[in-house]
Amino acid sequence: MNLIALALSLTLTYAGMLMICLGMARHWKQLTSPRIPAELRRACVPTGVLFLALAAYTCSFVWDTGMAWVAWFGMSSLGGLMLLMLLPYAPRLALWLPIGGGLVCVVLNLN
Amino acid sequence: MKQKTITQSMSWLHTWCGLLLGWVLFAIFLTGTIAVFDKEISWWMQPELAQNELDQAAASKTAQRWLEANHGNAASWNISLPTERYPALAVSTGEQRRGERTHLDPLSGEVLEPRDTAGGNFFFRFHFTLHMPRTLGIWLVGFAAMAMLVALISGIVIHKKIFKEFFTFRPAKGRRSWLDGHNASAVLLLPFHLMITYTGLVIFFLIYMPAALDALYGGDRNAMFRDGRSDAAQQQAPLGRERGERQTQSVPAELLPLEQFIAKAETHYGPGALAGLLIDNPGRINAKVTARPLLGSRIELTKGEGMSFSGVTGELLQQPSPSRPTLLTQRVMAGLHFAQFGGYPMRWLYFLCGLVSCAMIATGLVLYTVKQRKQAKGSRALLNVTERLNIATVAGLCLASIALLWANRLIPVELAGRELWETRVFFGAWLLSLAHAAARPVFVAWREQLYAAASLCIALPVFSLLDGLALDSTRVALEVACVVLGVALAWLAWKIPSRACTAPLVKSRPARLAGAEQ
Repeated sequence: MNLIALALSLTLTYAGMLMICLGMARHWKQLTSPRIPAELRRACVPTGVLFLALAAYTCSFVWDTGMAWVAWFGMSSLGGLMLLMLLPYAPRLALWLPIGGGLVCVVLNLN
Repeated sequence: MKQKTITQSMSWLHTWCGLLLGWVLFAIFLTGTIAVFDKEISWWMQPELAQNELDQAAASKTAQRWLEANHGNAASWNISLPTERYPALAVSTGEQRRGERTHLDPLSGEVLEPRDTAGGNFFFRFHFTLHMPRTLGIWLVGFAAMAMLVALISGIVIHKKIFKEFFTFRPAKGRRSWLDGHNASAVLLLPFHLMITYTGLVIFFLIYMPAALDALYGGDRNAMFRDGRSDAAQQQAPLGRERGERQTQSVPAELLPLEQFIAKAETHYGPGALAGLLIDNPGRINAKVTARPLLGSRIELTKGEGMSFSGVTGELLQQPSPSRPTLLTQRVMAGLHFAQFGGYPMRWLYFLCGLVSCAMIATGLVLYTVKQRKQAKGSRALLNVTERLNIATVAGLCLASIALLWANRLIPVELAGRELWETRVFFGAWLLSLAHAAARPVFVAWREQLYAAASLCIALPVFSLLDGLALDSTRVALEVACVVLGVALAWLAWKIPSRACTAPLVKSRPARLAGAEQ
């Protein structure tokens, strides 16, 4: 079992959902400070889609193609749901979580 | 009468489909979710068995030695090899594959006597039969699954802001929060809900839709499955069907060491991919060894598949043959439902998705009562019954499930028919929960039952700590998972506003999921 790819897939699906969420005006206002230029918002959805696509790619290192897609759907759904639960309770954590996930991947890579 | 709009009629359908079958659906989904870890639960429920660092080849040697010494004349042997999920060696003899199994110590070959237990298998069977006679249960579960599909699709139609409110959850807003929670858990996991419901129906396609089988094959199931196999298999098929006929031919001949067959089958299935061996006519010239793979090297559900060898010469008799597209389609769908593939990460994904499905059904059930409470018209009696049944289903089933695990540890090991007593405890706890829900005020009942389930979950590791029973990673993981689920249940119970307990029903605004002030 490829742990790094698994951690990467989880991080990327969550990050992808987060970016798509940031692309929505309501959540952009909720999560970012007014200092950040609003034009950046337009880049969010494409970035999110890119992350999700990358997640599908990293999933394929953990499972065969068919299984990877099943896992990708599950991870994206659960990632989205986790984001949804974090938004009202811990919005900062919602933003920083992908960084944490990235760190976990780095640590796994070092081992 | 004024014509209803499509949304209105779909909303009506969604409400009644969801409400009337929701209770059954919650039971099906929760037990199905638990059954994702059925083997692990069985393993936990038999603490007499200990994990050995032994490979399958050595275990097969032990099994062969024991079987030759004790059941040399049996018509067939069945050996369940230790696997990652259930690392025990078990053997049985005779035609009855699911008959009495004897557990062996894989090292010494001593007979082990683990306690009789309902095991994780109880949840698995309950999931598709509701503990009723098999056919009746399967039909009822199929009916509920159809209702689930109807509720899902009507739900999509009436939920107009699917994308606008994709990530919207507003806690502490009473009915709004319940609706948000219900919508979000449904929309975000829609692929899972649709997949698991539909594939669940596909598994029993022969029971639900037998007309094609009757028309084309005269009801002969095996003929249809033979046709579903590739051509090579059809020619080979007769080879596999000789069991019993040739049993008269009993020229003694020595059986080759079984580990040879494991090695051979592993070159086809991959290392560590075998679940067991079936040996027909052991000790005779026509001995046949069938290596059965674990389900899960691919999505396709390969139940009953195997690789057969001559037990005396070791030559390959029958290769597993690929399914034709029709059969493959059905079996991939069944495999998607059974979730035997992809190892533990996949298992956890299925488990978590299943939990969200349960939450979706539960929030839907509660949402109905939250709506009805605020409406002046409408039947109070129906509302009252709904409230009570919601408690007994949602909280009560959680309570009953964890009670089953407790029963496994508390019921004396030597009690006759103890696995029956375990299920009695399960249903007893469930009945108690219904009685309790009927007797107590609604919010008090919710809190008390959720707290009870939570404390049972959190206290589960007590047995391991006190008794010093054999612990290994699987059992520890199960107990940790129970504690985590217990904390979640306790959080849920804690969020039920205690103020509302005394307030009259009509005025109260429960916001259990979100909490009113916190």
